[in-house]
Amino acid sequence: MKWKRFTDLILTHAVLIVVCFIFFFPILWLVLASFSRTGSIYDLSGFFPKAFSLSGYQTLFTDTQMYDYPNWLKNTLFVAVLSSLLGTILVILTAYTISRFQFRTRKVLMKSTLVLSMFPSFMGMTAVYLLMVNFGLINQLWSLVLIYASGAPMGYLVQKGYFDSISSSVFEAARLDGASNFTIFRTIALPLSKPIIVYTALTQFAWPWSDFILPNLLLKNKDLWTVAVGLMHLDETQFTRFAAGSIFIAVPIVILYFCLSGFLVTGVTAGAAKE
Amino acid sequence: MDLLVLRAARTRSAPVRASLCVMGLGQMMCRQWVKGLLYLSALGAFLAYLIAMGGADIAGFFTLGTHEADPWLGTAGDDSILMLLRGLMAFGIIIAVVLLYRSNLRDILELDRSIKAGLTPPPFVKSLRRFFDRRFYVAALALPIAGVIVFNVVPIVFMILIAFTNYGGNNVPPALVDWVGLENFGRILALTEIKDTFFRILIWNVIWALCSTFLNYFGGLGLALLLNKKCVKGRRFWRMFPILAYAVPGFITLLAFKFLFSYGGPINYYITQAGRNAVGFLDIDAGIKARLIGLGVNAWTSIPTSMLLATGILSNMREDLYEAASIDGASKWMQFLKITLPFVVFSTTPVLITNFIGNFNNFGVFYFLRGGLYMDGYFLASDTDLLINWLYNLSIDNNYYSIGAAVSLIIFIITSIISLSVYVRSNAYRKEDTFR
Repeated sequence: MKWKRFTDLILTHAVLIVVCFIFFFPILWLVLASFSRTGSIYDLSGFFPKAFSLSGYQTLFTDTQMYDYPNWLKNTLFVAVLSSLLGTILVILTAYTISRFQFRTRKVLMKSTLVLSMFPSFMGMTAVYLLMVNFGLINQLWSLVLIYASGAPMGYLVQKGYFDSISSSVFEAARLDGASNFTIFRTIALPLSKPIIVYTALTQFAWPWSDFILPNLLLKNKDLWTVAVGLMHLDETQFTRFAAGSIFIAVPIVILYFCLSGFLVTGVTAGAAKE
Repeated sequence: MDLLVLRAARTRSAPVRASLCVMGLGQMMCRQWVKGLLYLSALGAFLAYLIAMGGADIAGFFTLGTHEADPWLGTAGDDSILMLLRGLMAFGIIIAVVLLYRSNLRDILELDRSIKAGLTPPPFVKSLRRFFDRRFYVAALALPIAGVIVFNVVPIVFMILIAFTNYGGNNVPPALVDWVGLENFGRILALTEIKDTFFRILIWNVIWALCSTFLNYFGGLGLALLLNKKCVKGRRFWRMFPILAYAVPGFITLLAFKFLFSYGGPINYYITQAGRNAVGFLDIDAGIKARLIGLGVNAWTSIPTSMLLATGILSNMREDLYEAASIDGASKWMQFLKITLPFVVFSTTPVLITNFIGNFNNFGVFYFLRGGLYMDGYFLASDTDLLINWLYNLSIDNNYYSIGAAVSLIIFIITSIISLSVYVRSNAYRKEDTFR
């Protein structure tokens, strides 16, 4: 019996090590490559650079003639921050309202968002592209912000789940005391929903931060590229630059996710809960 | 005739009748000047629009332009796409006015009732404030809904309409675009080259969606179960690695994997070091290799999510079921089959569908790994392309807008049928309460 338990222990951990290695190794490879002294992928010996230095990061920020990484970063930040701000307001408003109020069109709204979300995302995007070309709105960072933020309320379900879990007796008591609905929202609902606001703001930030489809479609002008679009244009000879650029943009997001890992499980599970 | 109009028509009261005929008139008869004037001026503006532009716009929606531009004479022609959009806008305005008219009826009915009850109706500002409070949801949802309509609904409606025109290819403004009915669908299902590509891609797409959903789901479940075993020490540490993989932005992962399998990449480095020829893993003739790599890469990016999900579900699992089962002498495997699996699958059916559809429409993997390859025997696609990639090739890279729109409608029909049928079945499950 003891033997059986021992082999089980060893086997379990062996499998764990293999799995974690699979998940970790590509990332490790990128991190190492970002510290390579030479730029091309052909100069690495297999997974490992021949010589280490910080020159990858240095060229990333100084050699901006062809690939203007600081500018890409600036554009990405602009789009991500603004769409996170706007998107969070819209999502929280939508989720709170749909969770708290019973009105005639509520079910219709919920069903229509479900139907809308079944259309392939590209269909809308192709149309948005055509419309933007028609109205000359292409090559505008603002149009990206508007598209991200106004699409955000469609994913209100997680936030609605959160508001559903707040007992309605608090709101009803305030209502009896004569508080208006707006006052209740401002002074009771908002302070209670700090965690979900943080969660929403971060997810709304992470999406534009790492999206490539929309910026690739709408930003044809090289000065307006976001990091995702810029990195897509780097080939094998610019591998160190790619690795350094990727690590630089991935680190903040990874830190965010780790701070949020408690939320993560609830966030992912919330979609699973049946109504 | 709907209920509201009928109710208004049956009310024997002059202001209600007046508002039924002319929006806002009744309100003014009840001395609600501001409100009445606002309704009235909205009606006036609408009529002016209809006469000045709206009528022509609606007509243009059906003709899509009759005068073609003549570059020799330098005459400007009709821009069909602009006409389509303006027609769409006209319909939107009409719907908005109908809604406003209904709100006018509702308002006058309430006003009439309160006057009959002997109350004096509140002044405009006060009633506005009351509306904002009582109908808080209208005020709160106005902005989000407007955003969704402008940036999601209108584009989708526009695309649905495009599917029934011959817009695209060489036929773009200034050339005239026309309604062609179901011709695009006919071409997809009948025209040899497009038809073959469509069915080949469709079959691969279904296989892909099934395989990758299965792989990711059970991969994640397996990993979660492994981490949940009692003998595992340092769970947080082990869980860190999949979460790390989850946190890295998808495009970075996908680009990195493209480099990993490229000619200069480390795998080919070791192959050439061993004295063999470099392998074109993602080349145009890679065949099954590229498909398997796609599955693997997708699993790498998706298993962490399903692991997190399964971990969450498993933490709600009741321990006593296992105890009872071990007392009855059930093996670990039987316990998994009879307790864990039904519980997890039962509580994740909706997610399973979302995952399936997400995989069905997984654009990123093959776009990054081998985007832009066109193979013989395929119309503007390669053997790993999914319908969504084909859609991109057709409409963005090659301007086949109408065919692309028709393909997206077909994708929509497939995915909605799948989700609806599963939703209906899972509903039935819920009612029967088979598990528990």
